[in-house]
Amino acid sequence: MAAAHIQNGAGYGRMLGRPAAGLPGWLGILPYGLVLLAVFAVPVLFLLRLAFGDAGFSLAHFIRIAEVPIYRSVLLTTLSISGMTTVLAVVMSYPLAYLMATVSPRVRSILVVVVLLPFWTSALVRTTAWIILLQGNGVLNRILMGTGLTSEPITFVYNLSGVLIGMTHVLMPFVVLPLYAAFRGLDLATVQAAEGLGAGPWTVFRRIVLPLTAPGAMAGAMIVFMNAIGYYITPALMGGPAQTMIAQMIADNITRELNWGFAAALSTVLLAATLLIFVIFQRIFGLERLMAGGGGTRGGEAFRLTSRGRTSGGILTAACGLLVALFLIAPILIVFPMSLGSSPFLSFPPTDYSLRWYANFFATSKWLDAFLRSLQVAGLSVTASVVLGTLAAIGLSRTGRRWRPLLETVFVLPMIVPVIILAVGLYYLFAPLGLVGTIWGLAIGHTVLATPFVFITVRAALKAFDTNLELAARGLGAGWVTMFRRVMLPAILPGILAGAIFAFITSFDDVVLALFLTNIRTRTLPKLMYEGVAHEIDPTIIAAAGLIILVTIAVLAINLLLSRRR
Amino acid sequence: MSIRHLGKPVRIEGVRKAYGAAVALDGISLDIAPGEFCTLLGASGSGKTTLLKALAGFETCDAGSILVDGRDIGPVPVSRRNIGMVFQNYALFPHMTVARNVAFGLEMRGLSRAEIGRRVDGALALVSLEGYAGRFPRELSGGQQQRVALARALVIEPDILLMDEPLGALDKNLRQAIQQQLRDLHQAIGATIVYVTHDQEEALFLSDRIALMDRGRIIQAGAPEDLYFKPANRFVAGFLGECNFIPAGDGRPGEVAVRPERTLLGHAAAAAEVRLGGQIRSVVFTGTGYRVIVDVAGRVVTALTDSDDKVARLPPGSDVIVGFERRHAMTFAA
Ligand SMILES: Nc1ncnc2c1ncn2[C@@H]1O[C@H](COP(=O)(O)OP(=O)(O)O)[C@@H](O)[C@H]1O
Ligand SMILES: [Mg+2]
Repeated sequence: MAAAHIQNGAGYGRMLGRPAAGLPGWLGILPYGLVLLAVFAVPVLFLLRLAFGDAGFSLAHFIRIAEVPIYRSVLLTTLSISGMTTVLAVVMSYPLAYLMATVSPRVRSILVVVVLLPFWTSALVRTTAWIILLQGNGVLNRILMGTGLTSEPITFVYNLSGVLIGMTHVLMPFVVLPLYAAFRGLDLATVQAAEGLGAGPWTVFRRIVLPLTAPGAMAGAMIVFMNAIGYYITPALMGGPAQTMIAQMIADNITRELNWGFAAALSTVLLAATLLIFVIFQRIFGLERLMAGGGGTRGGEAFRLTSRGRTSGGILTAACGLLVALFLIAPILIVFPMSLGSSPFLSFPPTDYSLRWYANFFATSKWLDAFLRSLQVAGLSVTASVVLGTLAAIGLSRTGRRWRPLLETVFVLPMIVPVIILAVGLYYLFAPLGLVGTIWGLAIGHTVLATPFVFITVRAALKAFDTNLELAARGLGAGWVTMFRRVMLPAILPGILAGAIFAFITSFDDVVLALFLTNIRTRTLPKLMYEGVAHEIDPTIIAAAGLIILVTIAVLAINLLLSRRR
Repeated sequence: MSIRHLGKPVRIEGVRKAYGAAVALDGISLDIAPGEFCTLLGASGSGKTTLLKALAGFETCDAGSILVDGRDIGPVPVSRRNIGMVFQNYALFPHMTVARNVAFGLEMRGLSRAEIGRRVDGALALVSLEGYAGRFPRELSGGQQQRVALARALVIEPDILLMDEPLGALDKNLRQAIQQQLRDLHQAIGATIVYVTHDQEEALFLSDRIALMDRGRIIQAGAPEDLYFKPANRFVAGFLGECNFIPAGDGRPGEVAVRPERTLLGHAAAAAEVRLGGQIRSVVFTGTGYRVIVDVAGRVVTALTDSDDKVARLPPGSDVIVGFERRHAMTFAA
């Protein structure tokens, strides 16, 4: 922390009005600000310039998007698939959130794990698992045909149902979590008051529960829609040609058509749509809702199941909630045992268990290299993002109130802007600099993606940190560095660690940046997996998926242990 | 507003309720007459809310039965019980205006728009909130919210009105004003009211009958005067108002309980039937007079005196005579 000023002997009286002495706010903000400018704003602005014509201003690309039917239909497909995914996510989240709110604490914590585990498991692994489950000779079709329910395999993937299943699964937790918080925030007495006035279960749901939980569902739905319109890998892997969405169209225009201008114009459209939703979201819910669920009962008792038990509608809803929970955990429940099979053919459940494919994974240099490279890149970007994000959060807390909301918004933008746009922009920026195909270029990209997570968690920890402690320490004669090391750092360390964990998972799971910024010699584990899944799934890929699940569980367990200790 | 002048009688028979190992209601039996204002009084955790929830149907009972107008309401779902409830935190619907809150129960009963509008207006007039129909609960003060909750519960013309510490969240002046309004309201509509409070003064002020609860049981039920002057045991005597426990005197064994306002000091005690010696410990001015705390053979005895009583001017440590009339002494079996 070279930036810290040592100010021994600062008088308590001088300190009282100005906790800002010590690290000046601008110095904390500057590093992350510069990084954002150089490797986020610049590449995105490059793209915007390309979109409006290389030489001189032109709307030709946009006119083409609007006029050529196939592009129009891609835009329409993007909107309709995102809309359907959002509706599915909300509809499926309600019974699950209801179930989570009305079970015993022990069952509730199991359900929370059931939601969080897939949430944090790489989208690529989950998509892979769904393909294994749903493909023509996949697990589900074999079960259906084995029991004689169908005679022909049903096509679940490489069509609309595949995309919807995959995307709903990946994005649904964004609704479940705030909705669950909304259910917990419901005052039991409000529900009982309605019953006492004569409302039956359905009326209670329609007139009380639904309106009071709608803001939570709305917040989640907007996040889902915002993510869905820019989604790349799941529709690319699980959809057919008719499900081509805008992100895939952008990628195709660069890798196949080499039409940068047109790809840039598509990116501009996507960016504008995403930012529009983001601005609306922020206006309605504020930035805090982006990470935290919000809610909390006002004085009363939280909504729960009373000794009367469930009504028949309640039983039905709870059963649906259970099915949704099963849907969320199914890929992990099926793929993990499969990775332990010994047969070279995919089968579930495996006839006998072995570590054969894990052994194969570590014995094959391309897999092992990719795995180690992923860890390397993650190590680099976690380090960088922890330093940048922590400094920025501390810096922001010492910046004037007038600038805070703007800076806060800018600092979380990399979470909002679709990854495909960042990937294309960085590719364009890095190629002439010779950074494409190196782990450095990728690590820089991952740092940009991951720093908002550190920033948000440390910012939350700082908000909970009592400024008087800082004043007290300074008043007792501690310099800023001593104060930071002995008082502030211990208080915000859990936030930093949580941020580091999110940063690690962000980097370790990324496919999209790796697709553009690495080559065959520098590819990461997810990229190698992606290439395999796009062609044919072999058992080693499943072992790789199993390995990623294990890493995720280990990292989440560390997070849990650390947060328990507090 | 036309609320029927006939509340229904309630009979509670041997009701038991346990949450796991914790027994919340341990065999409660109570008869409440039609139109009676019955208060469940007890310390926090004594089971008052649980009993109210059992009456309303929000919780099931492990044993026993509840009869309203002679009919067991055990199998009747909450939504058909026609019981009004005012919750401790009011539980107003935050997303509905005052008028919509009050109309809710009428809408559930399928009344016509015109009839609902008429009755809502009437109910709001009853609680003096005519001008507030279009406001949202968050735009009202605590006392106003409380009255909306009351209007919402009354407008459905309930057979019984249940109120769970409805004034608990209000400050003292407001509480006293609303207590008076509640009394007047009860006189006007004659509904059967089961009222929960932990505040003994409130219970004494409002009730036709008080049921004093402790650890899931009813210790004594009766008119306020009965509980105050003829407490069944030491617990009741100590819970309702202050009580001095004084040696019975005249060489008799045991002790008797005497209210501070019946405990005489100095001159006044000279002619009392029972007299004891003590020393003044401290004297506190209370506005209407003095509170004199006397040490009688190691026991603390409190007496109230007029503000012109000379006893109050004696310095601490002075000897003083404490006395009481035998008819004011309360004795208990245990
Ligand atoms: N939902 C519940 N789960 C477990 N114990 C409860 C529950 N509700 C009440 N209790 C217990 O039952 C007893 C009576 O509670 P309650 O009826 O709320 O008391 P009061 O309203 O008189 O303060 C208390 O010991 C309380 O802890
Ligand atoms: Mg209570």
